[in-house]
Formats: sequence, structure tokens, C-alpha cells
Amino acid sequence: MNPSVSSQSKPRFDQAIAAKVFHWINIVSLSIMLTSGLQIYNANPVFGGREGWHIPPIGLLGGWLAGGRHWHFAGMWFFSLNLLWYGVYVLISRRWRHRYVGKNDLNALQVGKNPKRRIYAWHRLAYTAIIPILLLALFTGIGMYKPAQFPWIVDCFGDWFALRVVHFLTVPAVILFAIAHSWLALRAGGDRLVNSMFWD
Amino acid sequence: MTHTPDEQELLTRQRFLRLLAWSGGSVMFGSIGLTLAEGLAGRAFEPLNQRVEELLQNSQKLVPEFPISEIEPEALLVNSFRFTPELDPTTFRLTIDGDVNQPLSLDLKTIYAMPQTSMVIRHVCVEGWAAIVQWGGIQMRELARLAQLKPGVRYVYFWSADGYYGSWDLASALHPQTVLAYQKNGESLPIENGAPLRLASPIKLGYKLSKWVTRVTFTSELMPRKGYWEDLGYEWFAGL
Repeated sequence: MNPSVSSQSKPRFDQAIAAKVFHWINIVSLSIMLTSGLQIYNANPVFGGREGWHIPPIGLLGGWLAGGRHWHFAGMWFFSLNLLWYGVYVLISRRWRHRYVGKNDLNALQVGKNPKRRIYAWHRLAYTAIIPILLLALFTGIGMYKPAQFPWIVDCFGDWFALRVVHFLTVPAVILFAIAHSWLALRAGGDRLVNSMFWD
Repeated sequence: MTHTPDEQELLTRQRFLRLLAWSGGSVMFGSIGLTLAEGLAGRAFEPLNQRVEELLQNSQKLVPEFPISEIEPEALLVNSFRFTPELDPTTFRLTIDGDVNQPLSLDLKTIYAMPQTSMVIRHVCVEGWAAIVQWGGIQMRELARLAQLKPGVRYVYFWSADGYYGSWDLASALHPQTVLAYQKNGESLPIENGAPLRLASPIKLGYKLSKWVTRVTFTSELMPRKGYWEDLGYEWFAGL
């Protein structure tokens, strides 16, 4: 619908079906990766080992280490292949040219006076910045899953402990992102923008 | 309907909280529901994962080793499932049987006299920790050569003095860095680490690396009992 048709009508946000599918699979598979990953973490906390601080078991997935691993290594296929096909789609559809943060957004953040434009720029910055974090989670995860096959991944981070820390840090990064992303989306486009990405 | 900026702010906050509560609740209830279906994820995806692990693992390719200076003597934790068995080294025998033309019963003197393989590798525990360790011992493939496997052998069982048991795919067992070790970090293998003989390898998780191994059985079929932790629900292949 054309927003200029009447002053009463509100602009519609039309999301590409591919973007919706990606968003759904990503949100579900990422939740599985996070909750099963924290279950695995609890077998030997990254910080402090067995005597270290454990994650409260509520909301963890798998029940015990073996169950957490089963979910983690099932969820990884959905999470990683979803990221892969969407990456290819973004490249060939040239979506990357206008859907992600660009010079104009950075400009708006630095010198812009229009508060709506600034929120919009922040929103684009946030969902662009999460992409390298998701890739980092995948990269460090492959290094921990198959260190004998990909020893160079472990070497990239110095040693095993550093690799574990980086893999773990993607968890708070993703949670903070999800909160900021929801907040900014609501500020930028209200319920209509949020709904457009899920079901409208 | 138009809102003043303050109302707009309030509305956004309400919606935001609603969204947070909704996502938090979904994760909570979802995880409880899916935890009940724990075996499902494993049954559905472990065959695929195992296939990929086998493809990734070139059975002859050596895993890069570490310099002696990188050994982490304190990092190797002791995990055992029941007790620490005391084995008399003078009467100890390693039995090799199953589908072999030449069953063996070897005493430690004979084993120590065989060509020793030493490696400094990363030992990775399923719990998430890892330690760089030097292991010295005899290659499994040397034992397999002596025992002369019959055609059709696909698996190897390792039986331990404490009742622990596990099984491996033959390719992993014959990997040049899969060793029955009697030496750790340059010294005799301590009893709590599995003396007189334990498995060591960079290509399998720690729970596949049985301690106090007394018997090795080559076989063409897996038995219903595949391994202590595996029978409880852990992955069988457990490759690294």
C-alpha cells in the first residue's frame, strides 16, 4: 500500500518471504544452540572449572551433558545452513547493498538531527553487527567440535581456553543483541514492523 | 490516533516488555519440552553427524603435535567411573582376541620391548576442558598387525580392569596416533591415569580413551553394549 494514499492509512512493512523464513529459523535454532550450549557449559564451567559458577538449570536444554550435546549438534545444522543460504541469497539478490548499515546511517548517527532517522540507523547498525558475531560463534564452535581436524582454528585464538572463552562470549553478545534489536525495532517501526518480520 | 512523544515512549516500553516476556516464556517452556525429547535429537541427527565425522577424519592423516614445552601437567583431570584398580605389573597380561588369526597374551616386558611411539597431543574431555599431554606407548595398529586381523573386522572393543568398556571403529583404532600408553609426560603412567596400559589418541574424546585396559577384542559386529557412557546416551563415534 502506498503510504501517501490517505493520511489515515499507515505505511505497511513488507518483508521478503526469504527474510521471514531466515528470521524464524534463526531465532528458533539460535535459542536451541544457546540453551543446549549453556547445558554443556555447566559440565565444566569455562570460568573456574568444576568449582566455577554454574548457570541456573532453569531454561537449559538437554537435561544433562549428553542431552545438551545431542541438541547442540542437531541445532547446529539448522543454525549454520540457515546462515549459509541466507548469505548466498543476500549476495545474489543484492540485498546487501541497501538492507544493511551504510555510510548514510553512520552519517546520520554522527551529525543527524532527526531522532527517527537516528533510531533507524542504530537499528540497521545492530542487526548488521550481529552477523560477524554469529559467524564467530560458528567458527569457534567448529574449532571446539573438531580440534583434531581444524587445529588452526584453535591456533587462531592462542589456546584451548581462549577458544572456549570466545565461543562462550558469543552467548551474552547474542542475548544483548536480541534485546537491543527488539527495542530498536519497536522504536523504529512499532508493532507493525515487528509483526511484519514474523507473521504479517 | 496520534500519541504525544511521552505516550509513544510508554507504548514502546510496554510492547518491548511484552516481547521480552513472550520470548523468555517460549525459551523456558520450549527447553522443558525439548529436554523431555532428549533422545530424539540424538537419534535423529547422530547418524548424520557420525557420517560427517567419518568423512572429515582421514584415517592416516597425522594430527599436528605440540612441543614438549607446551605440556600442561596440571590440566589433565582424573575422571573414573567407579574405582582405581590395582594391577600387579608382574602378572599383568594384555589379551588380544576376537576375529584374529593370532590371539595374543602379552606381558608388560614384551610390550615395553616393542617399538615405542611418543606423542604430545591435546587430550579433550567431553566436559569441555582439554590438556596438552605427552603419551608414550605402543601403536594399536602394531598390535593389530601382530594379531593378524581376519577380513571383515570393523570394530574394536576395549575392556578395562574396573569394568569400564568401550568400542571403536577400526579406522580410528588403527590411526597411527592411537596408542596403548604406559608413559605420561616422560614418566611411568600413574595408576590413577590408567597404569599399566591405557588408550591415548588425539582423534577421540576422553571417554573413549579407556584406562586399565586388559583386553582388546576385534569384531565384525557391534554388540548391544557399545560402551559405558555410550549406553547411557553419549555419542558412540565421539571423534575430534
